[in-house]
Amino acid sequence: MSIRAILADILLALAVVIVLASSIGILVMRDAYQKLHYVTPAALVAPFIVGLAVLAQSGLTLDTAETGLALVFVVIAGPFLSHATIRAARIREKGDWRSGAGLVHGSRNGSAEDRP
Amino acid sequence: MNGFVIAAIAMLIATIPCGIVVCRGEAMAGVVAYEAISSIVVMVLVLLSEGFRRSGEFELPVVFAVLLFGSGLVFARFMERWL
Repeated sequence: MSIRAILADILLALAVVIVLASSIGILVMRDAYQKLHYVTPAALVAPFIVGLAVLAQSGLTLDTAETGLALVFVVIAGPFLSHATIRAARIREKGDWRSGAGLVHGSRNGSAEDRP
Repeated sequence: MNGFVIAAIAMLIATIPCGIVVCRGEAMAGVVAYEAISSIVVMVLVLLSEGFRRSGEFELPVVFAVLLFGSGLVFARFMERWL
């Protein structure tokens, strides 16, 4: 077994551990706000490590470039999706994402009638 | 079966807890779990393509990664007010 294969296996094991831990965290945590913290390792850190593993295994090839492209899309989309999801959760809960907006319209819970 | 295929299988197993949240949790928690599953599935497709040495299949995770972004935003937008 070459040093490249060993390095790739180590990186893959690390990525799998991160994904498993994130997945269990998503299951265990209480609400969407807490669960969202555990998406980040699976959506940002693990793809980067998987990309490194493919690079270690194959070197600089077309396959590695396509892998990098796919994982760059995942890494870029992660923070945007987290922001959009947390915004949606807050709007669902309070009626508006801005601080105190639910109170302005007379209801802390921000029912559909209270929304601007 | 090499390390990449084993890692892909392990990551697919890791989607089971997220799947439980999608099926049994509340709606917003389900969206969060869905986003995690999408990210994991992109990695699984990359790992399977590398594990089986099929160059043509590396385009699938690229397409899926683009769709992941759009679908996540659509779900988040609908969850704000309509669902």
